[in-house]
Amino acid sequence: MIIIACGLLFLGILFYVFYPERHVEEQHQKTRLEYLRERKDVLYDNLRDLNFEYRAGKYVQEDYATQQADLENETAEVLAEIDVLESQPR
Amino acid sequence: MPTFGSFALLLALALSGYTLLAGAVALYQIAMRARARVAPERLAETARRAGIGSFIATTAAAFALVWAAFNNDFSVAYILHHTNRALPGPYKFAALWSGQEGSLLLWAWLLSAYGFVLRLRHKVDVKLTAYASTILAGVQVFFLLLLNFAAMPFSLVSGPVPQDGFGLNPLLQYPEMVIHPPMLYLGYVGFAVPFAFALGALMMRYPGEKWIHITRRWTMVTWLFLTCGIFLGAHWAYSVLGWGGYWGWDPVENASLMPWLTGTAFLHSVMMQEKRGMMKSWNVWLIFSTFMLAIFGTLLTRSGLVSSVHAFAQSSIGTWFWTFLIIVMSVCLFTFILQRDHLKAENKLESLVSRESSFLFNNLVLLAACFTVLWGTLFPVLSEYIQGNKVTVSAPFYNRVAVPIGLFLLFLTGIGPLLAWRSSSFKSIRKNFVLPSIAGLAAAVVVIACGVHPWEIFTTNEQGSFYAFFAFSLGAMVVTAVSAEFLRGAGVISRHTSQNLFASMVQLCRRNTRRYGGYIVHFGVVVIFIGIAGSAFNQSREEELGYKQSLNIGPYRVECQSYSQDSNANYDTEYALLDVYRGSKKITQLAPEKRFYAASQQPSTIVANHSTLAWDLYVIYAGKNPDTGQPIIKVFLNPLIAWIWIGVGIIVGGTGVALFPNMTAALAAARNRVPAAAQAAAAVPARGGD
Amino acid sequence: MSKLFRLGRGIVIVLVAVLTMGSANTAVRYNELGHKMMCVCGCNQILIECNHLGCPDSDRMLGELRVSLAGGSNDDAILTAFQDKYGPTVLAAPMLTKFNIVAWIVPPAVLFLGIAATVILVRRWRLRAAAIPASPRATEFPAMRERIRRETQL
Repeated sequence: MIIIACGLLFLGILFYVFYPERHVEEQHQKTRLEYLRERKDVLYDNLRDLNFEYRAGKYVQEDYATQQADLENETAEVLAEIDVLESQPR
Repeated sequence: MPTFGSFALLLALALSGYTLLAGAVALYQIAMRARARVAPERLAETARRAGIGSFIATTAAAFALVWAAFNNDFSVAYILHHTNRALPGPYKFAALWSGQEGSLLLWAWLLSAYGFVLRLRHKVDVKLTAYASTILAGVQVFFLLLLNFAAMPFSLVSGPVPQDGFGLNPLLQYPEMVIHPPMLYLGYVGFAVPFAFALGALMMRYPGEKWIHITRRWTMVTWLFLTCGIFLGAHWAYSVLGWGGYWGWDPVENASLMPWLTGTAFLHSVMMQEKRGMMKSWNVWLIFSTFMLAIFGTLLTRSGLVSSVHAFAQSSIGTWFWTFLIIVMSVCLFTFILQRDHLKAENKLESLVSRESSFLFNNLVLLAACFTVLWGTLFPVLSEYIQGNKVTVSAPFYNRVAVPIGLFLLFLTGIGPLLAWRSSSFKSIRKNFVLPSIAGLAAAVVVIACGVHPWEIFTTNEQGSFYAFFAFSLGAMVVTAVSAEFLRGAGVISRHTSQNLFASMVQLCRRNTRRYGGYIVHFGVVVIFIGIAGSAFNQSREEELGYKQSLNIGPYRVECQSYSQDSNANYDTEYALLDVYRGSKKITQLAPEKRFYAASQQPSTIVANHSTLAWDLYVIYAGKNPDTGQPIIKVFLNPLIAWIWIGVGIIVGGTGVALFPNMTAALAAARNRVPAAAQAAAAVPARGGD
Repeated sequence: MSKLFRLGRGIVIVLVAVLTMGSANTAVRYNELGHKMMCVCGCNQILIECNHLGCPDSDRMLGELRVSLAGGSNDDAILTAFQDKYGPTVLAAPMLTKFNIVAWIVPPAVLFLGIAATVILVRRWRLRAAAIPASPRATEFPAMRERIRRETQL
């Protein structure tokens, strides 16, 4: 009885592990474009956050202006690179 | 059944070993673009499946042990030593983690369960998950090696099989004990997942910080489990051990606190990395240390390095853990040195007065607290080594050294949210700090007026009122700061959408669940601090009470109605029935007990507790006067304790909010009924800021 | 100079008076000292909190404490006597003697060193950050800036 149980467990798992799967998920390296899009999302979030906090009265005008400019510069560079990469033929 | 269990464990070891080896080979081939007979992707897929298979095998083993417990199979040594026939069902289940072999099996099972979820969800990022899965398999292999060769849960009794077992430690026969250890282990083990992801991301030189986003929920859930585990333990100690307190600075408690502290630091500082691309090396080492501290905690309590009341399960597997710890350390160090150029920060800190630097200080203080606990725990060992004798480092030490650090942390909890990201100019700071400071000062005045005199620390040896004073005033400050954040944010939304304040607040939370969930957690922390501060005003009395005799404590009068003894199959008991009066009104009846368990031949206290928001009336049956036969009753009046458990509830709620996905910017904009914005933002799937 | 000395002496006297004032009440001292020692039965509990059934040591030890208090010894003498009798592990926390003082000093020292290091680190970062002037490039992309603002509206 016990031997049967052990055997079933063993065979079942063995079958599952080595069952020849047709479709195997590919491990692909993240492209520069994907990376930049992630960066863009983060920078956008930071900017939204900055806007929100400014409206909530956490920044004085001059702090807000410098930081917005900094973040926008950084975002603009990322966006420019994204535009370049997207326009390239693959 | 023991044969089946042993076989399942062996199979699980083989499968985890396969996951580790095949996974490593496949990853190496992919990284080197080496040519191979089997496509490395296929190999990696079998490795992943073997990982899933190891979960099934480990589950089978755990099931076998539980089955043996329920069927009173005393031929298994573990079952013989940790259960008996009269033991109620749920506690038979709890026997799984009441001894060393069982708790290691639970470790291994939880680890494989986490691995199972991770491997199922591999499509999030196939490559990163493959790395994490392989690393996790390495950890699994260690625990399964232990279970197969050093601490076998299924080893058999030599000689004839006894009729009944030795029973479960009576201290563990309490409902919370059925959930406290698994919770704690879920927390301990869970840190293996962010650890594996961090190490994997470093090994593969993962571009960007997305991996933090992927592991964010893992870390939060794990942290929540650990938090709940710790506080369930505290609650168990409070309601079972019967010394009137909930935290004894015992090495085992300390062992659970250390990874919690570094884990909390990690939860905070990853935000810097996610948002600003800063502190990468720091974060990597934080999660490495958290994982290693979790292992170290297990080592500490299992190896007998330090003595502890929790020594439910001690043995000589210390060497195994040391070896494992050294291997983990070496792998981390090696990977870090090899890939450290990958961890260069993208941004620099702009200002000493900013949210970033407040995180820096928060990390520093959390780590200092962790170091203090580690130092206090290990100092006896150090002392023995250097001056030849052991010393005790217990509550008085931590009260003087660790509690001030805790209060400083509470202070930072209040300051942090007030500072803006990047930098805060003096003007902004003044703007944000006025209200919380006023609230803090007002609270200080009120607290002094109520008779808490912090200067007593200079005239007596009591630090209680000093700490309580700061806990209350800082608490008021933090609560004001957090509420101001909510109100200000809700105000913006309310102005923008003309919703009412409550609806705006809900939307505020939904827009950035992590931040506002985090604030709720901070609020819970304040509530816990208030509850802890209450202990400065504890009172206690101990008296022998005959029939109709009474004692007074605080506003209560406790009158003895009767006392007697009783017995059943599991234990003998002595108890007293006490009526509690407030004024002339009877409020409740309490029945403190002293039990003597037959199977284990051990005594145990059953506390009777009347808990209100203001205080707990906590009564124990301290013993019997042998001359008169009358019970000796010890009564504690512990103020504000209930707030600790309420605070934990708030933390659970806050973490729950933080676990929710954010409302996308698109949806938020649509809700705001600004068509232009909605159109523009529709293309941007966005998450919250921090 | 002598004025300063006298002032200093005055402060010391007041401090000593203040610090020893609280030890008048025997019940308070009993409670305090009971919290400063451990039960030696192996339960790892604070002496006065040790409560387990049939503890072979705690009652006897508390009795000894009462006797010493009644005998009029001061706190330090009592603690030292207990330490001599039961070994150094009877104290719940190490005293401020010889090597044991390290136990107390190291954690705060680590905290303060950490704070100092963090402040220095942040200052250095700031200097480095200030050395790189902000790039005015994005001003060249007014359209881009417009797009960013539009997409990051509330």
